[in-house]
Amino acid sequence: MRQLFANRTSSILLQEKCDEADEKSVSKQKPGDESGNTVVVAPPEFRFMYPEFLPDPAMERRNRLKEKLERIDMLQRRSVVEIPEFYTGSVMAVTVADANSPNKFARFVGICIQRGGSGLRAWFILRNVVDKQGVEILYEMYCPLIQKIEVLRLERRLDESLLYLRDALPEYSTFPLDMEPERRLNNSVVPINPLKVKLRPRPWLERWERQNLQGVEDLNLPQRFYDKAEKVAKPWEKYDLMLQYRKTIPAEEQEKIFSDVHSQLQQQEFKRKMRRRRGTDNEQ
Amino acid sequence: MLSIVFHKRRRLVRRLFFNHEQVRTMSRVKRRTTHPPYWHVLKNNQRQDEKISSDNLRFVREVIQDKYKNKSPIKGSDLDIEKKEWDPKTKRSGVIARNIGVQHMWEKDGKKVVCTVLHVLDNHVIRYVPPEEYAKSIIGAKVFRNRKPLGCLVVGAEAANPDRFTRQYCSLFNEVGLLPKKRLARFIVTPNAVLPPCTPLTAGHFVVGQAVDVYGKTIDYGFQGVVKRWGFKGGPASHGATKFHRRGGTIGTGRDKARVWPGQKMPGHMGSERRFCRGLKIVRINMKYNVIYVKGTVPGPTNSIVQIFDTLLPRRKFTEAPPHPTYFPPEDGTLPQEDIWDSNMHVFGSPSIPV
Repeated sequence: MRQLFANRTSSILLQEKCDEADEKSVSKQKPGDESGNTVVVAPPEFRFMYPEFLPDPAMERRNRLKEKLERIDMLQRRSVVEIPEFYTGSVMAVTVADANSPNKFARFVGICIQRGGSGLRAWFILRNVVDKQGVEILYEMYCPLIQKIEVLRLERRLDESLLYLRDALPEYSTFPLDMEPERRLNNSVVPINPLKVKLRPRPWLERWERQNLQGVEDLNLPQRFYDKAEKVAKPWEKYDLMLQYRKTIPAEEQEKIFSDVHSQLQQQEFKRKMRRRRGTDNEQ
Repeated sequence: MLSIVFHKRRRLVRRLFFNHEQVRTMSRVKRRTTHPPYWHVLKNNQRQDEKISSDNLRFVREVIQDKYKNKSPIKGSDLDIEKKEWDPKTKRSGVIARNIGVQHMWEKDGKKVVCTVLHVLDNHVIRYVPPEEYAKSIIGAKVFRNRKPLGCLVVGAEAANPDRFTRQYCSLFNEVGLLPKKRLARFIVTPNAVLPPCTPLTAGHFVVGQAVDVYGKTIDYGFQGVVKRWGFKGGPASHGATKFHRRGGTIGTGRDKARVWPGQKMPGHMGSERRFCRGLKIVRINMKYNVIYVKGTVPGPTNSIVQIFDTLLPRRKFTEAPPHPTYFPPEDGTLPQEDIWDSNMHVFGSPSIPV
């Protein structure tokens, strides 16, 4: 499965957290181009907040017109349902229309362990432990059956993919199904939870010692596992510029894409805020 | 579809369109050619790296612009040929499009549907070959050997700079006065669906909800082994198998007819073959960008050229008249509806599906 975030961006994530002092989502204004007009550019955080707007980097399958049309459709869907900003490690609740459940809507709360896909195919997986049984559900973000997506706790973890929670102790994946949304103290920075998870004793589903995981406690394996991991490792990949280039969309294109999308998303957010305020005013 | 023609001397004649099942038994038949038919003119300019000064280059561009600037698209009222009535046996022109990718859409009950996005390029009719003349040509003679001949419309798509083509190829477009097109295609039409040269064809030529056939060249996989090409199971991955994991195994019996039969499945070139996908339903048309969304997938990789026609399948043909002979935008200047959806599809801006 394709990784949306290249390895180098995980280090940039930590750097940006330190650099950010201003309020987030303030759009920058580029110095004027030849015609003298200022060009409004989306803030660089957009590529982490809305990664599904970036297309699949494989050049053979790219087409600008199709990406543009897909983006229009995505924004249309977002105008109806609020798809909030979330990251792997955030706890979310999704309400889906379900013909088979008693009140016709099924609500599931879980931690986002992985997200992927681009465009209308974007998906994320939520994990929870219900009645001592681990449950994972893959949701397609733009499916019209989804009624509501709420982020109960917005935070990041030390890894981009939390699949190791399947081999971890169940308390790390358990979240109450009636969990209330938590208010964030500092709105501009998304906190990184430095939690180190304890894994159950082996056998495991994957060879976690080979994956350079940050969010896992010391695995305490016999030395032969680490020796084999070193033999199999590809340490040259972090120096391979072309590999990273092929896995990501160039910065100039990203700017173009997000400057298109930025103004519309801001408008939608504004409308939602007004609706919410009007809603609270009416209640009062 | 053609049927195979056996001459008295049992010489196999090359067919134009193949049934995939029958191909396995026709080993001596050539399935693909790398060269165009001999009656085609040389298309691409053979000269390369011509050292031309920037002034001369500017002059050449001005000449090209002057030559081609005065053509305007034909309106419905300008049609020379009197508008003929549509009847269920009419064959309309088709359209040349580019497969720009695949998009997921959802139906009103929440079911996901994989749709191919087809971008209708700048199609223009180049010329019309009347039935009598077409029946005398080599392909026309084969196609209409035992039936009443129909006409042939030559349609071109994707205008390009005349510099990249030869003079003979550009001369094909001299009568019409259009910029030479990168791609040409023939569409068989009944005489009542004829269009005059220079008529533009757009996405509006089709109707949302109709079925279309899409013709294209499949993905070229190159030289492929027997497992991928023919779906053989190969051999065991372990248990002592020596160098026998993806091979074909036995290719014949020992006694009876002791030889390898023609048509034995073996490794070879796979893909890059002309195929039709029949009966695909159009679920959405975007008139502004000239884009058609078709339910299902289409032969060929992304960004390849395909041809779209009204379907041959008898149960999915038109019952009501479509835009005949083609769609012309309304003359009173009112713009058509930009995005037309099939009644079964969930429109993205509409509220979420409850149940």
